[in-house]
Amino acid sequence: MTPKIISESALAALVANLVAGQVRVIAPVRAKDNPEHADYLPIRRLEDAAFNGPLPRRSLKEFFLPPTEVLLRYRQHKDGVDLEEVRTTFPPQVILGARPCDAAGVEILDKVMGWDYRDELWFGRREATTIIGLACPGVDDSCFCSAVGLGPDSTKGSDLLLVPCDGGYLAQAVTPKGEALLNKEPLQAAPDAAAGQTVEALWQGPREKVAKNLPPVPSTLPEWLAKSFNHSYWNSLALRCHGCGACASLCPTCHCFDIVDQHEHYDQGERRRNWDSCQTGKFTLHASNYNPRKTQSERFRQRVTHKFSIYPQRFNSLLCTGCGRCARVCPAGMNLPEILGELTQLAGTEVKGASE
Amino acid sequence: MTELRELARKLLADGSVKVVLGYEEGPRGVRPVFVTDPAQAEKLIFDTRCVQNLAAYLNPRRQHITKLGKAAIVVKGCDARAVAGLIRECQIKREDVVIIAMRCGGVVRDPAGSSELTVDTVSDRCNGCDDREPKLHDYLLGVLPPPPPQSTRYAEKVAQLAGMSPEERWAFWNEQLERCIRCHACREVCPMCFCVQCTADKGRPQWIDCSATLEGNRAWQMMRVLHQAGRCVGCLECERACPADIPLGLLTKYVAQAVERRFGYKTCDDPAVPAPMGTFSTDDEQEFIQ
Amino acid sequence: MNLYQPYLMRIEEITDETPDVRTYKLKFKDPKVAADFNFAAGQFGEYSVFGEGESTFCIASPPTRRDYIECSVKSVGKVTQALRRLDVGATLGFRGPYGNSFPLEQMKGRSIVFIAGGIGLAPVRSLIWNVLDLRDMFKDVTIVYGARKVADLVYKRELAEWAQRTDAKLFQAVDPGGQTPDWKGDVALVPVLLEKAAPKADDAFAVVCGPPIMIKFTLPVLTKLGFPDDRIYTTLENRMKCGIGKCGRCNVGPVYVCKDGPVFTLAQMKQLPQDF
Repeated sequence: MTPKIISESALAALVANLVAGQVRVIAPVRAKDNPEHADYLPIRRLEDAAFNGPLPRRSLKEFFLPPTEVLLRYRQHKDGVDLEEVRTTFPPQVILGARPCDAAGVEILDKVMGWDYRDELWFGRREATTIIGLACPGVDDSCFCSAVGLGPDSTKGSDLLLVPCDGGYLAQAVTPKGEALLNKEPLQAAPDAAAGQTVEALWQGPREKVAKNLPPVPSTLPEWLAKSFNHSYWNSLALRCHGCGACASLCPTCHCFDIVDQHEHYDQGERRRNWDSCQTGKFTLHASNYNPRKTQSERFRQRVTHKFSIYPQRFNSLLCTGCGRCARVCPAGMNLPEILGELTQLAGTEVKGASE
Repeated sequence: MTELRELARKLLADGSVKVVLGYEEGPRGVRPVFVTDPAQAEKLIFDTRCVQNLAAYLNPRRQHITKLGKAAIVVKGCDARAVAGLIRECQIKREDVVIIAMRCGGVVRDPAGSSELTVDTVSDRCNGCDDREPKLHDYLLGVLPPPPPQSTRYAEKVAQLAGMSPEERWAFWNEQLERCIRCHACREVCPMCFCVQCTADKGRPQWIDCSATLEGNRAWQMMRVLHQAGRCVGCLECERACPADIPLGLLTKYVAQAVERRFGYKTCDDPAVPAPMGTFSTDDEQEFIQ
Repeated sequence: MNLYQPYLMRIEEITDETPDVRTYKLKFKDPKVAADFNFAAGQFGEYSVFGEGESTFCIASPPTRRDYIECSVKSVGKVTQALRRLDVGATLGFRGPYGNSFPLEQMKGRSIVFIAGGIGLAPVRSLIWNVLDLRDMFKDVTIVYGARKVADLVYKRELAEWAQRTDAKLFQAVDPGGQTPDWKGDVALVPVLLEKAAPKADDAFAVVCGPPIMIKFTLPVLTKLGFPDDRIYTTLENRMKCGIGKCGRCNVGPVYVCKDGPVFTLAQMKQLPQDF
């Protein structure tokens, strides 16, 4: 479908229409507690959104996998237990102005969430949501989306991608949901883009800028990591890591969770799933007190290996979108782009050595 | 810095220590470094961006660090108070660690930012600090810089909170704690949170809700802060680490002030000075259980 | 109904196997679920004690007995200790069956040696009864079982039954020092008992389950007897939560114990990194 040029006022009208139609619209908004930060929050009007603002602190993950989510409710009585189901269909919502690294994370997680068993809670929210991506100018030198096969104008995960241009935004439909939006008022009347106006052409600058931060992760890395479980590199890599899990909480693709029962009253309560992280000491702690990953070195190895070997080997997709939040938030200076650079070198030299 | 590097090189070369815990320049500003090779002592730096509290790495449960061997640690005043706390609470023995104290003129808030120390960039932990020349040390290095710019930012915020009605304060903290996702980064970076099994993680019995609900988040912070009463050294690492930008330091500072009013006690870098929650004295005020 | 919602089950019978191990016989509350429920030996489930949480146990009863399922539980942690406080009639939850299973079809027409230690007999028991219930389809059946002391032997009633059978050979032992005055079985460690049993490896499978130290010393004996790595099966345990490959907790290197396991051949185990 040919992209259209959407004016600011047409986009504002879209937001107004959606809100009037009881559709929740979520966009990056400057944080109340600190305008130097932004969050993905509901808006009522387009002008509440901060498209040129900072990268939102948190990814889009929480709109599909909330930090805490009720799986069922139970009530115990003398004859047994009654279970109350939770909803698996959700009211429609539109995420407007999603950064490409965040939109891509959602699509990458579809794979594990649909692996043999279909997670209805995840997909219920996915089906109810339309993601309108907004091409990103690049944040800082911790961005590395292009190193993991994406880019500041990647369409992965977006239903519709907006790229700022003269006259407003170039709107590129990516999925049928995106096409449907473009074929409906108020966007239907928008003019088609001219022949030379493409996402590619418009966004070359930011692409080049981000590409400078880190060269592409080699395709041999997953295999190298699979063979390098006992490599000495892991011994001292994570000495400074506290295992705090701040990285995992902000990461668009970290999805590990815990399942707990929470009594609310002596005879009733909820079963919830909560965000968890392989970086915490008790993640793999057995009831017998045995822990296969006793130290932070082993836990950090798991994080890198899951993202760059285990997930891609099984699902053909790196479990990372290069958003750089982990490197920015880490209180101890662990730096994934730096680590990937080091691993690329190790993998390169060792693969070369093996063939000699 | 040359002084520091020379000392580190010597201590590693003559085998007095096996690892020096200090600061280095990383890809995103200053970060902790573990130097085990005398030739790598060049990496060590010390400037106003050396924000992190390295005492957390002395936790005896961090086996991948303890197995490196005896450590020397670079400390500022706030860090020295934490090391003193670990000694006071019998987590480490004084003779098992070599303390390299740095004379300190204050640090900035952001180790990845500019090193220029102004009233806007200075960390709130430096307010009212009188440990700029740490007394707990094996070596005391550097030249004493002028005192850091004193920002009134924190004092104003704490006073504002104190001036609120209970309902207003409750509403303020509810709004803040809604953002908490129970990652427990605040706990993991804190040198004084060293329990093998945190009460928040206990299942038998379960003390607090472990889910990121508002009730659970409130319970967690209240418990954490009260467990820190009389122990927290005010380094504000918890606040810096929080990925949800919750102003945790306001809570710990508030409780520290309460401890000072009640017991006339501020955490200090002398392990011999007993802490109020860790000591029983027959002179303790008992009016609350008349 | 979402995939995390368990079936409801009633505790029909509780058997004390040892001072800290109980076997629970469970029936689905919903007769339709009971009628449709199918599983294969080796699979596991996530069993709920509502208010405490879920825990992972293998299904210890065979698929040939369709009225009920059984699990044998050692009280170690929060959920298993809470389970111990429940009586017959109480309601549990069950999600499953999850995981892979023993290759029953491949084993038909061949001999099987079952080797277990302590509570490790539980996952193996499902397959033992599966085989005994279809006895004609298999050649020789040998069961080698040991525990530290007499009180630690599980399924004592069934051991007595198996000892009487003429179509299966049972070797049972307790560790030296673990015998009681009236103990009639052998006194030996399981690997030594296996050497005594000396089952033939031709056209035979071995299924081993027990404490890591027992497995470590049993495997060389099996190799010596001539069992190849791809005909020795075992089950792996790891910390689990969802049981369906989503929560990211149970992986051992690239392998998800809940999806690629819990049944593995020794050949597969040797490929795994030391991540368990």
